[in-house]
Amino acid sequence: MRPAAMKMGDNDYFTTVRLLQNSSNSIKAEYINPFIESVKNLFETMLNCQVVREDIALTTRIPPTLDIVALIGLSGCIRGNVAMAFPVKTALAMVSRAYRSQIVVVDSMVIDAVAEFVNIVAGGAQASLNQDVKVPVDLTIPTVIRGNRFQMEYPSMAAWIEVPFSSELGPFTIRISIHKKDNN
Amino acid sequence: MRALIVDDSRLARNVLISVVFKAGITQADQATDGIEAVEMASRNNYDIIFMDWNMPNMKGIDAVKAIRELDKKTPIMMVTALADPAQINEALKAGVNNYLLKPFKPEKAAAKIEETLALFSQTKKAEIA
Repeated sequence: MRPAAMKMGDNDYFTTVRLLQNSSNSIKAEYINPFIESVKNLFETMLNCQVVREDIALTTRIPPTLDIVALIGLSGCIRGNVAMAFPVKTALAMVSRAYRSQIVVVDSMVIDAVAEFVNIVAGGAQASLNQDVKVPVDLTIPTVIRGNRFQMEYPSMAAWIEVPFSSELGPFTIRISIHKKDNN
Repeated sequence: MRALIVDDSRLARNVLISVVFKAGITQADQATDGIEAVEMASRNNYDIIFMDWNMPNMKGIDAVKAIRELDKKTPIMMVTALADPAQINEALKAGVNNYLLKPFKPEKAAAKIEETLALFSQTKKAEIA
């Protein structure tokens, strides 16, 4: 059954389902929706901004096109990583909105804010992920990576669901790679 | 009224400070992790403490337990993005009085803070009577 939040074209949907089924990581679609909802909640509540989810895709590496990546790990019966990736301009616009002040340089304050954004997104999704599991999901402390010349690859061949968004503050992407351990 | 705000995120502390001032608090001290929070709580008398959950060095729940072991009855509000009912229950058992879920609307958060302070004040009066 097509999840209601995944409004994709038919071809995109079935392609993604095939990729998900073939993925050695067995990412389930119902693990993705809580993060999408959490992103929307963050923007609407904290940043007074609507977001629009674009077409979802599957990827095996994070390309060197976005400037700031905030990463948070999940452990427990559902484990993996969630990344939020922003162009610098989007990050500055978001942080400026959060602080209600014009921020023009990426400094420790911006890095801290971006880490907090991914913490809120992952935390907001956590309650949904913890339903019907024996070992609750726990979160790591966020890590923030800066620069536009890096490329992140996953030797374990983990697949990432990539969910792009657009907003008045600029475009950004969340990437989710999580799976459930057996017998949990 | 004096508050202690504990969060490793500067943004989170900044947002909460603006909210607590709306709720009638006049002084807000800050701590960046649980260890610092326990140390400050042992030295000062706060009217309310706001505790983040996911922090380096010492998690919020451990800091709450340590503060309660100091025999401090200060009301503690858990401020967290972790919206899990099981964790909230665990926090309440550890000695937290109420909680705020991130992200929050400032007006609603201020109202919840006032409600927590009022409830604590009533409880304190009842104990004295």
